[in-house]
Formats: sequence, C-alpha cells, structure tokens
Amino acid sequence: MDFRLTEAQELLVHTARDFFQQYCPTTLVQQLALDQHGFPDALWHQISALGWPGLLIPSALEGSDGSLLDIILLIEEMGRACFPSPYIQSAVVVTSLLLTAGSRVQQERFLPAMARGERIGTLALTEESADIAPEAIAMRGDIGGRLNGSKLFVKDAHVADYLLVVVRGNGGVNLVLVERDQPGVTLLPLEVMSGEKLFEVVLHDVPVREDMLLGPAGKGWECLVPVLQRGALARCAEMVGCAQRILDICVSYAKVREQSGRPIGAFQAIQHHCADVLRHVEGSRYILYKAAWRMHAGLECATDVAMAKAHMSEACLWVARKGHQILGAIGYCEEHPLHLLHKRIQAAGLDFGDAGSHLETVAQAIGLV
Amino acid sequence: MEFAFTADEQAFREDIRQFLRDHPPEQFAREGMDAGYGSGAHSHAFLRQLGTCGWLSMCWPREYGGQERPFMYKLILLEELATAGAPFGPLGGVDQVSESIIRYGSERLKQDLLPRAARGDITFWQGFSEPNAGSDLLSLQTTAVHDGDDYVLNGRKIWNSHAGIGSYGLVIARTNPAAPRHKGLSMFVVANGTPGLEPRPIRSMTGGVYHYEVFLDQVRVPKDYLLGKEDEGFTQLLAGLDTDRFWGRFYKAPALKRILDQLVTYANTTVRRGQPLARDPVVRRQLASLATDIEVLRMLFYRNGWLIKEGLPTPYESAMNKVLADETGQKLAALGMELLGLYGPLKEGSRWAPLHGYIQHLYQTTMGHTIAGGTSEVLRTTVAVRGLGLPREPRGRS
Repeated sequence: MDFRLTEAQELLVHTARDFFQQYCPTTLVQQLALDQHGFPDALWHQISALGWPGLLIPSALEGSDGSLLDIILLIEEMGRACFPSPYIQSAVVVTSLLLTAGSRVQQERFLPAMARGERIGTLALTEESADIAPEAIAMRGDIGGRLNGSKLFVKDAHVADYLLVVVRGNGGVNLVLVERDQPGVTLLPLEVMSGEKLFEVVLHDVPVREDMLLGPAGKGWECLVPVLQRGALARCAEMVGCAQRILDICVSYAKVREQSGRPIGAFQAIQHHCADVLRHVEGSRYILYKAAWRMHAGLECATDVAMAKAHMSEACLWVARKGHQILGAIGYCEEHPLHLLHKRIQAAGLDFGDAGSHLETVAQAIGLV
Repeated sequence: MEFAFTADEQAFREDIRQFLRDHPPEQFAREGMDAGYGSGAHSHAFLRQLGTCGWLSMCWPREYGGQERPFMYKLILLEELATAGAPFGPLGGVDQVSESIIRYGSERLKQDLLPRAARGDITFWQGFSEPNAGSDLLSLQTTAVHDGDDYVLNGRKIWNSHAGIGSYGLVIARTNPAAPRHKGLSMFVVANGTPGLEPRPIRSMTGGVYHYEVFLDQVRVPKDYLLGKEDEGFTQLLAGLDTDRFWGRFYKAPALKRILDQLVTYANTTVRRGQPLARDPVVRRQLASLATDIEVLRMLFYRNGWLIKEGLPTPYESAMNKVLADETGQKLAALGMELLGLYGPLKEGSRWAPLHGYIQHLYQTTMGHTIAGGTSEVLRTTVAVRGLGLPREPRGRS
C-alpha cells in the first residue's frame, strides 16, 4: 500500500499544471464553449509537442511509453483546467483499442500519426436507446456490407479523422474504423449545455472494409469492454480535476470575500460546506486511483471502475452545486469559470455509463440477485 | 502508487483468518456492550486470546517485548477482526494507551503495565470529557495536586467508555490552575479500585451501558503514573485525540461492509410485494451506492494510515474521515431499518428478529457516533481551518 507518485509522475503533474495555467485560462475555455469549432488547434499542437497524445503508445510506435496511471494523472490536470479537447476519446479510447485489438499493420498505420497528434480518433457508439450494451447496437455492419443509420453523442467528430463505429455484424459486434471525410458521412451538431462538441453522425452506405475492422469479426464487444472502462476512468480523472479546481476557487474566495465584517470563510456555515467539498474531492480521487491501479496492474477491476464512476458522477456534481452555494451570485455569471467546471462534470458523468448503469454493475457485484 | 499488500502481509491476513476459524468469535464471553463502532463487544477473554498470539504488542519496540512488526500489520489485524464481527472492543484502548506509555511513561509505569497489556490482562478507558467540558474540552476542571510521592485528583469525568469494567483510566487533569487554559494540564494513569474513584454507569438509549460517569474524590495516584511531563498534557492529548479518531474509526469500513453483506442476503431472501426485495430497483441502488461509499471510506482510511506510517502530517485527515465514517454508518443503519420494515425494531432474542436484532441496536448506537470523539460540527470546522486554511471563527469569551 503506497499512495506516493513516482518522481516522473510528479514531474508530469507539475508540467501539466503549469502548462495549462499558462496556456489554457478559463477565458479561453469559455470562448471555445461558445465557438462552433471549439477546438484549441494551437494548444493541441503544443500538447502534441509534449508527447501527450501518444502517452499510452509505446516508443516503437512513436509514443511516449507512459502508463495508465500517468495518463490518469495527466487527465486530472486537464480537468482542473477544464481543457476542452478530444484527448480522452482519441488518446485513451481509440488508442487503447488499437493497442489491444488492432493488427500490427493497423497499429503501424494509425498509431504513429495519433502519437504525433496529427490524427485524431473518436468513438461512435451510442444510438437512440442511449444504452451502452451490445444488445443496444442496432446498426448493421457485416464485413463487406454497408453502414446506414445514426450514431448519437459522438464527441468531437468534427475534428476527428477516424470514427470508431460500433455495429452489429458477423454474429456479434464489429468495431469499424471509418474515415470521417469519406462520402456518406454527415455530421449534425448536437448543441449541449456544456459547450462540448457533440454530433449526430449520419452514415449512408458507408462500406465496411476488412482492413478497417478492429479485433476479430463479431467479437468487438469483448474488445470494447476494457476500453470503455478506461474511458470511464479517464472521465473520472477529469471530474476529480474539475472538482479540485472548484474547491480551490471556493476556498480562495471564502478567504477574501467579506460580509458582516469578516471573511465568509470564518462563518461555520461556509466552513462546513468547504469541508464537505474537500471530503468528496479526496474520496473521489482515491477510489479513482485504486481502480486505475488495479486496471494498470492487470487485475480484475470491473467493480472498482463501476464504483468509481458511480460515486464520482454524484459526488463531483454535488461539489459543483455546493460550489454555487459557496460562491453566491458571482458563480451564476457566465464570466465566472464555475459553470464551465460544473457542466464538464455533468457531461463526464454521463459519458461511458451514467451513475445508474454503474450502480447496477455494483449491485450485481455485491451479490444482489 | 501501489495498492497491493505484500506476500508477508497477505500471509499475516491468512493467519488471522485461521485464528478466527479456530476461535469462532461468538464463543467468547462478553461483558460490555457493542457500541456499534465496528470493534464489537467488550470481551476480556477475546482480548487475552489476542494477547496469546502476541498480536497486542506486535508493533511495539523489542525492548518492551514487542516484535517491531510494520504498521500495516495493525491495519490488517483490525480489518480482519472487524470483517469477522469479533468482540475486540478493548483492543483500541490497549493499543493507544500502551503506545503512549512507551512514548511518555516512566520506567515504573512501563514495567508495571506493558507486560500485562501485552497479555491482554488489562484494559483502559479514557477520562477526558467532563460535565461542563464537552466540545470545549479545555474548560475541564478536574484538578491534580502534587503531594509527596503522589498526585491527588479531584473532579468528575463523563462519557468514559467501559470505565466500570476497565482496569485503568487515562485521566487528564489541571495541575496548574494559574496557567492559560491549554497549559497546566497533565495526563495520569489511574487504577480502577483506587479509593475515591467511583465509576457510575450511564444507561444509553439502547438500554445498555457503555458509558460511565467517573467521580474522583481525593484519588491518590503515584507520581510515576503521571504520563509524560507535568503541565504538558494538552500536547499529548491533541496528538492522542487525532490518532484516536483514526484508530477508533479505521475498522468502521470493514465492519459496515459486513453489515451490508448481511443486508444483501436479507434482500435476496426476503419476498415483499411478490418479489425479492433485491429486485426492487430502489433497494438495489441504495445498497450499491452504500457499498461504494464504504469503499471510498476504506480508501480514505488507508491513505490516512499511509500518511501516519510515513510520518507525514495529517492536519485534517483523521477529522474528515471520522465524520465520513460516522455519517456513512448512520446511513447504512437507517437503510437497514428501512429494509427490515416492521421487523427492524425487533430486539435480539425475538424469534422474529432479522439479523439477530442487530440493526436496531446499530441504528441507536450510531446516534452517538457523530457526537463522541469530536462532534461532526467541531470536526468540520477543524477540516476547514486546519485543512483548507480558512480563518477561525471569532471565539466567544471564555
């Protein structure tokens, strides 16, 4: 049992914190949320120069040889800055799938460019039912067939080069990489309160080529499950980072904002709110680290991931709402960053399974019939 | 980061499990009430059995008969005992006071008490609170006056757990009334049975006795039984209270998990409105959510323990985690009562009482948990001030 970060991890965390502090102020986040394109091209180039999009990728494929724990710590810092990007979808989800299910040819074809940040991938999974389960996939896609229909809530599809489309085919589930700019792919923006860029992806007669299939035909779901768990943990890390930032904002505000002749932080009502926020931030962080460590160590971790995601979706949202209460009227303003962090937590809580779906996983794990 | 236990730690865990199979916890006589904290009932016999295994002194220095086992072993022992529902109530007190004696005690005190503590022959109670000194502990008025080879103690202590069936009390008293409130305090080890010392039971809302009020009337304590230096008791007290919050709650997560598992079995096997309770989506969600809360609690306590083990400061962690432990316990007990419905209030002994009537007992005891050892309000303030650096609320006149 050891909660210490390695020296390299400490360095990564500090580098990331300084970097985002300097280059990703919340004013930029606000601007991007209102902007239709909403992708910080320049920042993406900069993080690419730092090797972050390739953090999970081995150096033989031009990556930076990082571990799952490293990327979790990095994403926590991204959350703290509320950095808007397709990082989780591309550098965690699609990358992990290529690493675990891709053929050598596919890895060599896609991963070096993704490691350099020149290519971006995203996941097109959910359909109208909004369920994340193999039986919820209705879109057909046998090898040699064609894709028709809609995928919903596809994040950052407008800047993605590849869409990882999850379809029903070959007696099970197929995972198909689709080039976004090919004919038959249409993007319809879904405007959401967070300002995250989500799309309905409409596919019309898009061919399913064997060389674009990841993993064995019909066995896609088995390949996807651990990758979705990674995505869930990555979103958890983002939530912890956001929640930590909210705590920092609340505490520094409570120290200087005076009412009735003293800082509001000297009133027990505010002190106790802040103490509860701290408890939720720390509780979320360590249950995340434990789940991430188990996954990193290759141990059974489905329950830990479900617990982390279920807990954090609620605890970090609670932090955000309490943040509004502590900050008072200023927190209600668009110019204040609180709403950005709040909405990011809200979005992250729904991605890769909401609290309800993860709690059902936990319910089964604790033995409920 | 590393969340695994070493092979030696795992082996020790197995030893404890084997011990518990060889000595089923329910076979031990119990003389004191289970206060619901997770350490079970007060059983001298069980304590002695732990002493026989050498586990009470396993982390002590060798010069005092210990084995200098690493800190983590203590956490593992507590976790396994709580998971099994063993009656190890007095263990925490023995451990904490022994550590204090090793650190602050006179040679005589060490020689008199440590070997007996290691065998599990003696138990300890704490004498801190007074009728007029609760959350504001520094208002305490009990006095100790140096007189020849003794100190003479006068005053009244209250909320002393199992003081009537314990062997020694750890009593804080004012040795220098002229000094500022937080100075001039000293800590004493006071033997039960000393003339003038009278513990009177306080019956709790559960119907059982856990707390005592202890009257001290001209109680003579040998000067070697002063723990640490005269007038420096407050520093020791603060350090003690903080570790007490950690050690007194570390086993709550595994104990709550044990109860949760019992409620899961109950929900699986109890049919209500035509289906097992476990199929009710609200019940599923509540139990799953609590299982998650308990795991969060467990991780926070392991981190807290790791900080202590590494000698790193814990300015707020024990306070924060105690609040969480006790509020999680209240939540679980309340959910248990809700699940059991009309059967919930049935006491132990009724043939209709589910889970041996334990849930109603737990439910009642949890009302005291957020008060004892620092109320949740006082501790939240501690977290805000010491953990987050928020300004102190102006104090009233004292």
